[in-house]
Amino acid sequence: MSGFAGTREAFLFALKRDRLILPVCLVGLIGWMAMYVVSYAGLYGTQAELNALYESVAGNPAMVAMSGPTGGLRSLGGAIAWDSMPALTIISGVFAMFSVIRHSRAEEEDGRTDLLLASGSGRLAPLTAALLITALALTLAAVGYFAVLAIGGYAIGPSILFSLAVLSFGLVIAGTTAVFAQVTGKARAARGLVGVVIGVSWLLRAVGDTGGGTLTWFSPLGWAQQMKPFWENLWWPLLLPTAATAFTVSLAFWLLARRDIGSGLIQPRPGPPNASNSILHPLGFSFRLQRSTMLGWTAMLFVYGFAIGVVGENIEDILKSSSAFTEAFASASSDLLDSYFASILTVIAILGAGFTISSVLRPHSEESRDRAALLLAAPLGKVRWVAGHVLIAYVASAFMIALTGLALGVGLGVATGDFSQTGTLFAAGFAQVPAMWLTGSLALFLFGVSSRLSSVAWGLLAAFILIWTLASFGNLPGWLIDLSPFSHVPAVPAVSLDMAPLLVMTALALAFTVAGLALWRRRDLV
Amino acid sequence: MSAVIEIEGLVKKFGSTRALDGLDLIVEPGQIHGFIGPNGSGKSTTIRILLGLIKASGGTARLFGEDPWGRAVELHRRLAYVPGDVNLWPNLTGGETIDMLGSLRGGLDPKRRKELVDRFELDLTKKAQAYSKGNRQKVALIAALATDAELFIFDEPTSGLDPLKEAVFQECVKEITGKGHTILLSSHILGQLEHLADTFTIIRNGRTAETGTLEHLREIAVSAGRDPDSLSLEDLFLAIYSD
Ligand SMILES: Nc1ncnc2c1ncn2[C@@H]1O[C@H](COP(=O)(O)OP(=O)(O)OP(=O)(O)O)[C@@H](O)[C@H]1O
Ligand SMILES: [Mg+2]
Repeated sequence: MSGFAGTREAFLFALKRDRLILPVCLVGLIGWMAMYVVSYAGLYGTQAELNALYESVAGNPAMVAMSGPTGGLRSLGGAIAWDSMPALTIISGVFAMFSVIRHSRAEEEDGRTDLLLASGSGRLAPLTAALLITALALTLAAVGYFAVLAIGGYAIGPSILFSLAVLSFGLVIAGTTAVFAQVTGKARAARGLVGVVIGVSWLLRAVGDTGGGTLTWFSPLGWAQQMKPFWENLWWPLLLPTAATAFTVSLAFWLLARRDIGSGLIQPRPGPPNASNSILHPLGFSFRLQRSTMLGWTAMLFVYGFAIGVVGENIEDILKSSSAFTEAFASASSDLLDSYFASILTVIAILGAGFTISSVLRPHSEESRDRAALLLAAPLGKVRWVAGHVLIAYVASAFMIALTGLALGVGLGVATGDFSQTGTLFAAGFAQVPAMWLTGSLALFLFGVSSRLSSVAWGLLAAFILIWTLASFGNLPGWLIDLSPFSHVPAVPAVSLDMAPLLVMTALALAFTVAGLALWRRRDLV
Repeated sequence: MSAVIEIEGLVKKFGSTRALDGLDLIVEPGQIHGFIGPNGSGKSTTIRILLGLIKASGGTARLFGEDPWGRAVELHRRLAYVPGDVNLWPNLTGGETIDMLGSLRGGLDPKRRKELVDRFELDLTKKAQAYSKGNRQKVALIAALATDAELFIFDEPTSGLDPLKEAVFQECVKEITGKGHTILLSSHILGQLEHLADTFTIIRNGRTAETGTLEHLREIAVSAGRDPDSLSLEDLFLAIYSD
């Protein structure tokens, strides 16, 4: 078939482009899995310790909402699968999204696909290559998980099932990304839409798992967890992601065969011939550039916060009904809910710091897309321009996380009819702000050092996520935990507010911001 | 009156490559100065230094007698710039982009804007992502030409323009200089430059190879033993590079 002509070359080229980043991602993913296996073996070496873990976690709806059904926790393998799968699946999904877009839509947006197609490649070749390299990476990672588990001495069958479950989610997201890469003409928009899909999957699973369970079956994340490796070992749910992958990939190719190269299915509509006053000011213009991303994140975080708030009511209910779990914590049930909310807020803040970074780095994307010179050759100061974007990033981050706190409170209030917590949770959102600012200021600092270093900021965020996840095992060295700003956020509303770490982080954020701007002022535009 | 652009012994290193290696360039007020050289010879690099976007590694560059790196914002009030490869914001229409770029310089004269849009035949309601290369170029050209800058810096401004619009551009340039503005024009279209420019600088490997009026360049070529009558700018260019 001529449509696929040149796939081999495109695939080899993609492989060459990714020769550095791919091994790094694989080592990261497999290393993460290895960390779980090692930590758990150390922490829960005896059945008694495992039983204690089971008693403290099983049926706790907060835990269920965060990580899925807890039935497998009586065995070490089940505990590892339960704790590692949520993060591993989501990160695989995000990886799949970036990888597919990078090799398909982003290439096309930059006009390089034309060149490829004009030199004899079939029109289906770039997408095929993008999907192949992504599938290859995900499969290698899955083989790695299996190897880690097998070496750790876990049963072969369930180890395979676990690896396939994680793989299956990555593949569903790869297929979904391929579809959105046809629908929209812009890489940024396609990534945004896939981000929403991942977010909604998580939400459906969290709500489904803590409620009746029906919604779980509408979530690809739910499918992965319902395979219940090392516990019920169900193989048939694999059919669902397999079908979904086949469907999305076919749909993507069907769409690709019917659209023009260089544009999406949705054609840009004509707009106004004159600018409105709102963009006739540098800050207004920067705001306009960031507006749609900001709206997307705000909507997502709000819905997420609201849903968690509503689920929170369940949690309280179940805490009140009797179980071994409640007996142990009966007196402290509301504190428990508070610390649950505090940790949820921090998790959202870490995710939200993704927005902070991308927003702070907006000048970097303007610079690398060669648009910055058009602005900076006008009488617009370099520092003023970047500072405007940073201001927007910081204000929007604070707004978003506070709004998420509010959404938590409103969700809880709607479910319980008691809105007394709303103000507290709204205020608790603000406690997360300095850590987000500090993360953003580090990104700005890197951008100031050099354009190429900017993307290291994403590595920092990955490290913060890793630290947050592994810190819960309790066997990370303290100094390592302390490296992440999010380790220093006071767990309000569960504890009383300690301003010291917040002030220190704000001061550090300010220092890095000033240093970043000063470095940027002195460096060449790329 | 002193020179608008004064460059002496300019050096720019990117890592180990010397993009500029002792370049000299003088542009007097009211001149159209043609800036010529093969690909990679350092024209865009020179212009980016003049715009204060990158910092010189050695030598001096003066714009209106001032340091383009340290005094960028003040100097930019007096100049307008069009790059050779215009990248725009995909979601903004051409009209919005022109107005936004104009607003950075304190706003455009609406009559002048309309006149230019008509002459270049640009559809202002299209989103930038839907523009062809030539139309993107027009957006930047209109935004620059509609300003009242003292100095215009053009780096292959008409790449992608059709011959009719190319002619419109030449008319516009002549009108501007008629009003006493100064122009630095880097281009590979030597036929265009030959008609437009008063003086030329030809660079090679980051160094000035020749500079002066067309007559001056001809004299050099003749003294090197070439036929005096048929020497176009193109011939001169080829002669310099075939040495
Ligand atoms: N940011 C950069 N990093 C490294 N090298 C660079 C950079 N910018 C330019 N160069 C190098 O400097 C030299 C001069 O490039 P420049 O873009 O100034 O050439 P030019 O005369 O404008 O060429 P063209 O006619 O193709 O536009 C080239 O060798 C180029 O590779
Ligand atoms: Mg150039």
